[in-house]
Amino acid sequence: MKILVVEDDAEAAQAMVRGLTEGGHTVSHAIDGAYGLLEAQKGDYDVYVVDRMMPRLDGIGMVETLRKDGDQTPVLFLSAMGEVEDRVVGLKAGGDDYLVKPYAFAELIARVEALSRRRETGGVQTVLKVGDLEMNLIARTVHRGTTEIDLQPREFQLLEFLMRHAGQSVTRTMLLEKVWEYHFDPQTNVIDVHISRLRSKIDKGFDRAMLQTVRGAGYRLEA
Amino acid sequence: MQLPSLFRRTPFRLTLLFLALFAAAASAILAYVYIASASEAQAKAEADVAGELQALRGIYDTRGIDALNMAVIDRSISKSAFVYKLIDRTGMPITGSLSVNPFEPTAQDGAWITFPFTDTDAEGNVIRPKVRAVTSRLSGGETLIVGESLGDTEAYLNRLTQALWAAMGMVLLLGLSGGLLISRNLERSMARLNRVVTAVEEGDLKARVPVKASGDELDELGRGLNHMLDRLEGSMASIRHAGDAIAHDLRSPLTRMRAKLEVALIDADSGRVTGVEALGIALDEADTLLKTFNTVLAIARLQAAAGRIPDAAVFDAADLAADMAELYEPAAEDKGLEFSAEIETGLMIEGGRPFLAQALANVIDNAIKYTPVGGAVMLRARRRSSGEIEYSVTDTGPGVPEADRGRVIERFVRLDNSRTEAGSGLGLSLVGAVMEAHMGRIQLDEGPGEYGGFGPGLRVALILPPASVA
Repeated sequence: MKILVVEDDAEAAQAMVRGLTEGGHTVSHAIDGAYGLLEAQKGDYDVYVVDRMMPRLDGIGMVETLRKDGDQTPVLFLSAMGEVEDRVVGLKAGGDDYLVKPYAFAELIARVEALSRRRETGGVQTVLKVGDLEMNLIARTVHRGTTEIDLQPREFQLLEFLMRHAGQSVTRTMLLEKVWEYHFDPQTNVIDVHISRLRSKIDKGFDRAMLQTVRGAGYRLEA
Repeated sequence: MQLPSLFRRTPFRLTLLFLALFAAAASAILAYVYIASASEAQAKAEADVAGELQALRGIYDTRGIDALNMAVIDRSISKSAFVYKLIDRTGMPITGSLSVNPFEPTAQDGAWITFPFTDTDAEGNVIRPKVRAVTSRLSGGETLIVGESLGDTEAYLNRLTQALWAAMGMVLLLGLSGGLLISRNLERSMARLNRVVTAVEEGDLKARVPVKASGDELDELGRGLNHMLDRLEGSMASIRHAGDAIAHDLRSPLTRMRAKLEVALIDADSGRVTGVEALGIALDEADTLLKTFNTVLAIARLQAAAGRIPDAAVFDAADLAADMAELYEPAAEDKGLEFSAEIETGLMIEGGRPFLAQALANVIDNAIKYTPVGGAVMLRARRRSSGEIEYSVTDTGPGVPEADRGRVIERFVRLDNSRTEAGSGLGLSLVGAVMEAHMGRIQLDEGPGEYGGFGPGLRVALILPPASVA
């Protein structure tokens, strides 16, 4: 995957470039929004990772310009500002996701990968398939093999998100944000318990567990 | 107090201005009274003189010059208020109480003048009252002058003038000293205020204005200033306290991290653990520090928002409660707690949903954390009889002693029996800040009492005003 990192903090950028490169991605770095814009216009990136606050042209300005020019490449905003209104500004400017500094590296990689996948699966799907797990989005039914699995509405949403990002790590924070739409940090293991309930429904009685725990990161649904 | 500086003071300048205005007004009144009295006295004298003259002319016309002469003599002797002079056709005086003719020889018939008349009073003192007189040509060529002394009126006017001048003098004197007194008092009060302002400026936040019970504007100002200083001192203290608390709370995890790193270094040296494990430990501690920082920042931002929540909207508190119940129920049951929710419908409130979600989550988190296995946690959302919307979370944990209930909302306060649990001690402080920003309040009560060998439990209520729109 080709990733453009636009970040003025040299050390943070270096760490990011190194981490993403080791994760198997091709990474370019621009030191501010103006360079970022030039680099983006050369084209062919899968994801832009953009810091909000930069000299010359800031992240918001850069992404707004890109969107005006018709560039629909997914954008992950990085910001030290994590308040609700800051997120709203970022998403309104054309950002697809918003990560508050400081972040765990696993979180950054999971979100970048989640963004790129979304682009690949363009078009309206009515059926999601991962291995022998099948989800019908119209009938709102789930089957594993021939067995029908009965899910609560929230469990259904949770599984849908995991299926759309099958093969990728998703973090607990991502799940709380994308499935429950809350942005706080729950102190107890609320998400883990929801996952273990879902796991008991889709994996129990089958010889292979699909819903994996990724140590230090979160979860991954494997085909 | 030096006079030159006094003249620059507002109260004294105002006093002077008022005195000048008063003096001008008094002078105008004085002039008016004087002129009015004088012209009235003159008119009266003229009427009297005209009447007397008519009577005398009547005597002359009917009985001739001799009878008139006799009448003038008679009347001069009787010491009436009138003065007379009868002059023959050659200009020689015939008789009368006037020794000279005050009129020009060419004075026309019916001409009036006012002149000083030399006389003696009852004690024999020489007096010179003014006389208003008219000259009159008689048909036989003689001239009759009749005049009346304005003495009484004049004396009255003189006394009046003197009294008015004296009064004005008194007023000026009293006004001046009163002005001095007032401005000195005002000066002192202002100096008291100024001293406090200067003291505060120099860093003494304890300085206060001494306030009397009189309740005048200056006292009000003083009280206002004191009140402001109280608030200022309070917030300074709380900032200082928060600063101390942050420093203290960050020192513990930093110290812990340092110790663990040191141990890890020794252990790694001797091959007992790997460097990776040691780094993992350090990372966890750094994360704890960051969470503490973030919560402190969130509280500070809420307090700075001073009741204006960004992106506030009207929404159903019941929806949020249902969401939270759904989110937390599995976690509670996983721990072996009985979780229940009782949620009324249609509980519209106005506020920042994310903030309230965070607050409610913190309270439920706490309840789950502190309730022993086998216990119960209940979430309720209802409308109080007062119309307020209330979220409450009741648990069957050990509860919080009544004496500590106010304290646990303060930053970084953790009760001794909770020290073993993870947490920054900021959870309820954040809830408190969210409630304050929403004009709501947090209330801690005893729970349901003894339950499954534990108790008495805790009931945390978040009470919010209902949305103003129906």
